[in-house]
Amino acid sequence: MSRPFPYTYISCPCADTPVPDPARKRRSRGTPQKSPNPEQPNVDNEDKKPQEEENEDEEEEEQTFDPRSPRSNFSLYPPEQLLYCEDCHQIKCPRCITEEIVSWYCPNCLFETPSSMVRSDGNRCGRNCFNCPTCTAPLAVSTIENVTGNGSQQGPWVLSCGYCMWTTLDIGIKFDKPTNIRTQLQKMTDATATPSYDRSRQASRTFGDLKSPLSSYASIDEQSASREGSGEQSATNEDTIPTPDLGTDARFAALKSFYRTQISETSTSPGDPLGSDLGFSSPGALNRLMSLYASSSRLSGLYGGNKKQKSKPPVMREALTSSEGLRIAPDNGDADVIERLGSQECGWDGVASIEQRQDQSPDVRFADDLIPLPCLLRTKRAKRCKSCKHILVKPETKPQSTRFRIRLIALSYIPLPTLRPLALPSSSSMMSAPIPDLNSLPPLRPVHVLLTLKNHMFDPVRITLATPSVTPGRVASKVTVLSPQFDIGANSDVWDEALQNASAPVTGDPKLATLRGVPEAGKVWDKGRNWTTVVLEVVPGTLPGSEAEGGNEVTAKDGTLATQQDEDVLEIPVFVHMEWDAEAQLEQQNVGKASKPDDLVARELAYWMVLGVGRIQASL
Amino acid sequence: MATSTPSTGDNKRTMPATSNLRHSQSARPSSPHTPQQQPRSGNASFASSTSPGSSFRNEDDAIIFEIGTRWIRAGFEGNGSPACTVGFGPEEMRRVGDYRGWIQGASGVGPLPRPVNAEDWVRDYELWRHDLRDLDLGLVEDKIERALRETYNQHLLTDAGTSRLVLALPSLMPHPLLSSLLSALFSRWRFPSVTLLSSATMSATAAGLRSALVVDIGWAETTTTAIYEYREVTTKRSTRATKLLMQEMGRILTVLGSDKAPEEAVKDEISVGFTYCEEVTTRFAWCNPQVEAGGAVSGPDRTISIPSPNNPDKDFCDIPFAQLSEPVEKVMFAPGVTECEMDDEEKSIPVLVYNTLLTLPPDARGTCMSRIVFVGGGSRIPGLRQRILNEVSLLIDQHGWSPIRGKVLERQRERLERMKISSQTNEEAQPTNKSSAPSHDEGEKPDPSREEPEIDFVEQKLRRQNKDTSVLVQGVLREVESLGAWAGASLVTSLKIRGMVEIEREKFLQHGLAGATRESEPPVPDRRSGLRAGDRSSWTLAGWA
Repeated sequence: MSRPFPYTYISCPCADTPVPDPARKRRSRGTPQKSPNPEQPNVDNEDKKPQEEENEDEEEEEQTFDPRSPRSNFSLYPPEQLLYCEDCHQIKCPRCITEEIVSWYCPNCLFETPSSMVRSDGNRCGRNCFNCPTCTAPLAVSTIENVTGNGSQQGPWVLSCGYCMWTTLDIGIKFDKPTNIRTQLQKMTDATATPSYDRSRQASRTFGDLKSPLSSYASIDEQSASREGSGEQSATNEDTIPTPDLGTDARFAALKSFYRTQISETSTSPGDPLGSDLGFSSPGALNRLMSLYASSSRLSGLYGGNKKQKSKPPVMREALTSSEGLRIAPDNGDADVIERLGSQECGWDGVASIEQRQDQSPDVRFADDLIPLPCLLRTKRAKRCKSCKHILVKPETKPQSTRFRIRLIALSYIPLPTLRPLALPSSSSMMSAPIPDLNSLPPLRPVHVLLTLKNHMFDPVRITLATPSVTPGRVASKVTVLSPQFDIGANSDVWDEALQNASAPVTGDPKLATLRGVPEAGKVWDKGRNWTTVVLEVVPGTLPGSEAEGGNEVTAKDGTLATQQDEDVLEIPVFVHMEWDAEAQLEQQNVGKASKPDDLVARELAYWMVLGVGRIQASL
Repeated sequence: MATSTPSTGDNKRTMPATSNLRHSQSARPSSPHTPQQQPRSGNASFASSTSPGSSFRNEDDAIIFEIGTRWIRAGFEGNGSPACTVGFGPEEMRRVGDYRGWIQGASGVGPLPRPVNAEDWVRDYELWRHDLRDLDLGLVEDKIERALRETYNQHLLTDAGTSRLVLALPSLMPHPLLSSLLSALFSRWRFPSVTLLSSATMSATAAGLRSALVVDIGWAETTTTAIYEYREVTTKRSTRATKLLMQEMGRILTVLGSDKAPEEAVKDEISVGFTYCEEVTTRFAWCNPQVEAGGAVSGPDRTISIPSPNNPDKDFCDIPFAQLSEPVEKVMFAPGVTECEMDDEEKSIPVLVYNTLLTLPPDARGTCMSRIVFVGGGSRIPGLRQRILNEVSLLIDQHGWSPIRGKVLERQRERLERMKISSQTNEEAQPTNKSSAPSHDEGEKPDPSREEPEIDFVEQKLRRQNKDTSVLVQGVLREVESLGAWAGASLVTSLKIRGMVEIEREKFLQHGLAGATRESEPPVPDRRSGLRAGDRSSWTLAGWA
């Protein structure tokens, strides 16, 4: 794939344990389960199909891992990205860990943001870090004089992009001070969003800011009182007033305050004797927002039963004015937008792209409407095993530090697989055999690759490799592991090897390895202190539709002729099973009767690995 | 127990509110769920909302996700717009460590190596499709898991699973999809509960309305949902939506890019990149607001230059601006196709809106037709909403509100009229009509001055009871803009309104969707219980059942 050939991926075993869904069992019994890979419906030969169906009822682990299935993209990871839980003795991928945020920081200025400020800052940097709205490069604060070439440091300031030469002058924004740009910008954008509607904006602002129920009470009363006065006449001649263009946030705040007022009014109904004492935010009253039901009549029956039944409780009404958040679509519609789209000066770049719009306000359509956005914060996260809560990764809090307090990466526990092609010495010349070009492997011609597994544990490991004789998918390549069972030595002191090698002839030299002769079945190719190399013999299959194809029936199907993307990539699923005798952990020793200190516990680990060998040539 | 309840009721009348609240709260676990209990359980929740404990609870804001076929919007409750919008595409489906998107440029920009079927062309960009026959639910779970994990890590910047989750979903979801979505959420993270809110109702709420006709021009389908007093009354759907629009635009661009004559490229195959086509569509797709072709909006001779379909990075090519409105018209309005030729699921959008209004009772119709809310990606296309409204009003002029139409009917009507004309003399019929109508007017004209106090009395009473009925706009076509379903869900959640459907972790993990009670309306005490989630004995799927 994108990684240069050859590469290795490891499939996290968590993919084999599907999400437990209580309803699924019934569902799958009712309707036959779909085949897991709909893209390749005719993968197998005819004789394989019944067997496949049988397997479907059995455990999923019985099935061969298919690196081409779209689901496998979500479970395959480069070996260096995996973690290992020492309690569960299992590989952990990002899907089977939980994460806890340790600290928030701005990637631009590397300042840490305290956790209390993160939400109020909207997860963005509160300082002067801004990204260019058109090209996402970081913006710099500079004076206008600097831009025009004068060196004075005074005067109005702008944000300018060093990459695409965009400045805030393009959207008509200048700053008075070079500091606290964010608050300045916020003031300006808010003001532009609500040109004529300061009052309602002010009111909504207070609602949003006030947290205490007491203070919001007072303002609610004010608001409702002012609404009583102004609301009615504005409601009557609503059609004549042009709807002011509230920004999205201002409209949202207006709607929110409107609903709050409504809820408080309807909950302090005369029919509800207790309602007058209770907060507007009480959930019981709020339920009426969604639906009306007969509770208040029951209340009045209870508490004022002998009195005449009160009138219906006041019903929440809908928003009527634009200060309440209502917005009627303008009469001329989008005529001016269409006019502008079609005009010559707008052009392709005058309209904001999807990517540019993604973080902006949803109303943005043209490139002029884009405003610079503060940098999104980043986090440092601690990671825990999802099943046992054992901590796997714990970084240091400081943003500048790249160190980790705890980091259990999987490569310290599982052997590191590396792959390289073997240049077979031809009979004529001993040394200069052509190494096969992995980006264009000729089909039907055997290739030998060397798979080296390097052990990082301090215990020797027994490895068993298993691979399907024919790779899954339409391009059936034959694979043979010449020596599927072997041992890897412990990761002992480096000097041990050096001292051993001082007496023994050097065996680990790759140049000498080519002199080893032809690979033989059942024989390990090479072996070192903590690594072992075995040979895989691969016969790449033919691509469907290529002339090398020898009457395979796949071509008969129409439409399947076209190769899917990356179908020509030769990937080999290999099942790795490793066993080793680990030293028992402390608690296990204590639990057992006073055993010897060198008590050994047999452990095993099994997972699928995918070896990306190369790309198969289209034709011979 | 029954004897003790009236006595506490008496206490309530005399004691200050706070003390009897506490009293009722302490008394409530032991008391049975009698009908008299309901007011008190409401009180308990009132008390809990003002207690310090609830303010602590308020601190961890719920997180709101709106999950659609193409995009996930996510953010915190109480915010006006989502914190992020995350899409699905082949780049999101790559393996970890596969950086091809960065090395070669994102896929879907350049032309495709070979033309593909229009359905396959869009398939990789969808999270799910409602046709579950060839959908791998496990893959959907994988995609959701990755999208949510990255959303939490990159945009929300909060620990996943600690706070409540609110999902704004379309009210018609296949149960297997809903089940895999929920089980993916619950098994991956420790969400205490997931609340489902209907996206159509939320769109109406975000417009400030109680009743509305929500027209959601989405990806796979356009749905029109009539909402009356926050309840979904009826829903109709059509496949004429953005997906078809994109495919149509793809065909146009394919023809534009190929040297062949359009006749040769009519095959249902597209050879331009999806991302490129989407870019063109979102930027420049437009619709003439007037029904007649060649309206006043822009001259037909205008051209604009868009990146060339063959080499979008370097070359530009000119295309008539009017041509960019063709796919919209063709897909959304189906010009030249009579209504009877279209299947039920592919009615044009004006017909869809009209039919939805037609099925409503007259009261609800009058209310809904002046509260038409357009949401969804398609509603961003300039001019489209106005055009739909114009065509709907044409339909209303043409047919009125009668569902009966057809040639036979017209013939019959003509025959009846002819009979009427022949049997009656025109001289008789017309004067009586004319005389009766003015007489009514003359009779009523002096009335208002005389009946002013009476009208005032009625209006006062009306205003005292429910203030809004007097000024309700009704019976005219009117469009109200909404902030969208996400904003509505954020609004509703921040007002501490509980959704009907709140699925708790333990209960879902035990029984799955099958654990939901079949009743669409849960017992009232459950909904009044406010913040106390523990005393819900059963949960329901309400509209999703």
